[in-house]
Amino acid sequence: MYNIMEFSRNRSTCVEQTDNNTLRSYCRLNDTVMDALVEITVSVPDLEIVSVQGNVFRPYKDEFTESFEFLKRVIGTRIGPGILKIVKGLTEGIRHKQFAFMLEECCHAVILSFTKEDLLSHPRPDNEEESIRYHRQMVLDNIRLYNRCAAFAPGSRIVEGINPKTGEI
Amino acid sequence: MLKFMRNKIVGIEVKDSNTLLAHGFLDDDIYSIEMDVLIDINHLEIRDIDGRWNRWTTTECKRGIPFLKEAVGLRIKGDFSQTVRRIIGRKACRHFANLLLECCYTAKEASKTLKEKLEEKHDLCTATYGDNNDKNTDSTAFADESDHFSGGFHDKDPSFSMIIDLHTHSFPASPCSSVSVDQLVQEARRIGIDAICLTDHNYVWDSSAVEDLRQKYGFLILRGNEITTDQGDMLVFGMEKDIKGIIGLPDLRKEVLASDSIIIAAHPFRGFLTVGIQQIGLTLERAVKRPVFRYVDAIETLNGSVTENENRFTDMVAEKLGLPKTGGSDAHDVSRVGVYATGFVDRIEDERDLVYAIKEGRSFPVVFRRYAETKASA
Repeated sequence: MYNIMEFSRNRSTCVEQTDNNTLRSYCRLNDTVMDALVEITVSVPDLEIVSVQGNVFRPYKDEFTESFEFLKRVIGTRIGPGILKIVKGLTEGIRHKQFAFMLEECCHAVILSFTKEDLLSHPRPDNEEESIRYHRQMVLDNIRLYNRCAAFAPGSRIVEGINPKTGEI
Repeated sequence: MLKFMRNKIVGIEVKDSNTLLAHGFLDDDIYSIEMDVLIDINHLEIRDIDGRWNRWTTTECKRGIPFLKEAVGLRIKGDFSQTVRRIIGRKACRHFANLLLECCYTAKEASKTLKEKLEEKHDLCTATYGDNNDKNTDSTAFADESDHFSGGFHDKDPSFSMIIDLHTHSFPASPCSSVSVDQLVQEARRIGIDAICLTDHNYVWDSSAVEDLRQKYGFLILRGNEITTDQGDMLVFGMEKDIKGIIGLPDLRKEVLASDSIIIAAHPFRGFLTVGIQQIGLTLERAVKRPVFRYVDAIETLNGSVTENENRFTDMVAEKLGLPKTGGSDAHDVSRVGVYATGFVDRIEDERDLVYAIKEGRSFPVVFRRYAETKASA
């Protein structure tokens, strides 16, 4: 009769620069059954994962400790292209895969923090045509972007006329 | 002050006895999207999906919305996350793929709690998420073939006996490739390269199968392997051991030493799609100190899947470390075969010759394909 939510999940992932050489990225999950935190610290600019910690605030069970120890296998790896594959491979067999996903979210947030920085460092396009030009240049600078999503796929104004084989117009 | 924040909220509503509605909201410093997903409880199958952008970087982002419907019919099991990343992530948007996974796995969790309520069982420790079968390497990428980069060469140097593409991928050995071995070989012959190496992801080619291909095409095909380690991807030649999963680089080094084979660091400075490694602030001085280079015999300084700047930076690192350099296309489709390759001073007949030549510094990375096509059109 009532539209009461059956299950609810909040996930907040944040990246903080704690000093010139260190980023802290943490993922906090708070849902109907669990309240947990996974945190990594990453050296800059190598983006090497130097520490991993985890904690469960609700429900508390000793067995979670084992899974958090599992996550420490990624210490020493670097956040770069292919990191998700490495995280998945190194955490294979972890009992609570949710924590492995939270670790992936932490890594992903680090990458997005640099994307944000890069976007902010360039002049904000004032109009649509400027925006198209700006994104087109991104593709020309890194042709890997071509067809990586709908915005950069054939048919989009951004990639109109770009030859994906040569990376030129 | 925070450098970045992403918040996601997913609410699960029971629409009827067979259907859940997951409403997801993703809001971060760059993007804001919403999504509604109707899911069949009994089969955990997506029945319908809709999404919208609230905040984007370009209006072209909205072109991805219709592609969300391609998720209809998918079931939340097995290689679901890999499929979503491949289909929704590439055709629509990776952020929608991320939110869709969040919605679906939350719905899966909700369906379990519903069943537990019905069965009056409460096991709160069986949260599951994702699968470990994601072999998506995201390596279908392109690089421009500019020959301005002096790390390669432009002319077929007569001092080279052979030119070999040291890094190629074929389907189905590498699921991320779109080209068969036969197509690879045919294209390699067409452009005039002398040989190719099959370096599929964590895959050891059967020697008799490759010999059959050699005989069939009268073309030299060598066996290699691109192995994922905790320090990135490594090209290995001369080793028969089949390594599955992620291996620590020091452990791989032990295997390589035991088999008298060779490790080449593949694209060690490949950056992100929107941000290069130098934009993050990585200097040459810092890069050469990376532990990875203690465990490799050579560095791939010309790779067809990275940018010219990334190749240039890698070349500088190899130069500083005095490590041998190699080149390879990293081809995942036929048009990329031979973009870059490696020139060998001596004739190469098999993998042993290849290993020896690279270790002895009797090989050099080369820009090949543009040269070949320019010559053909002249």
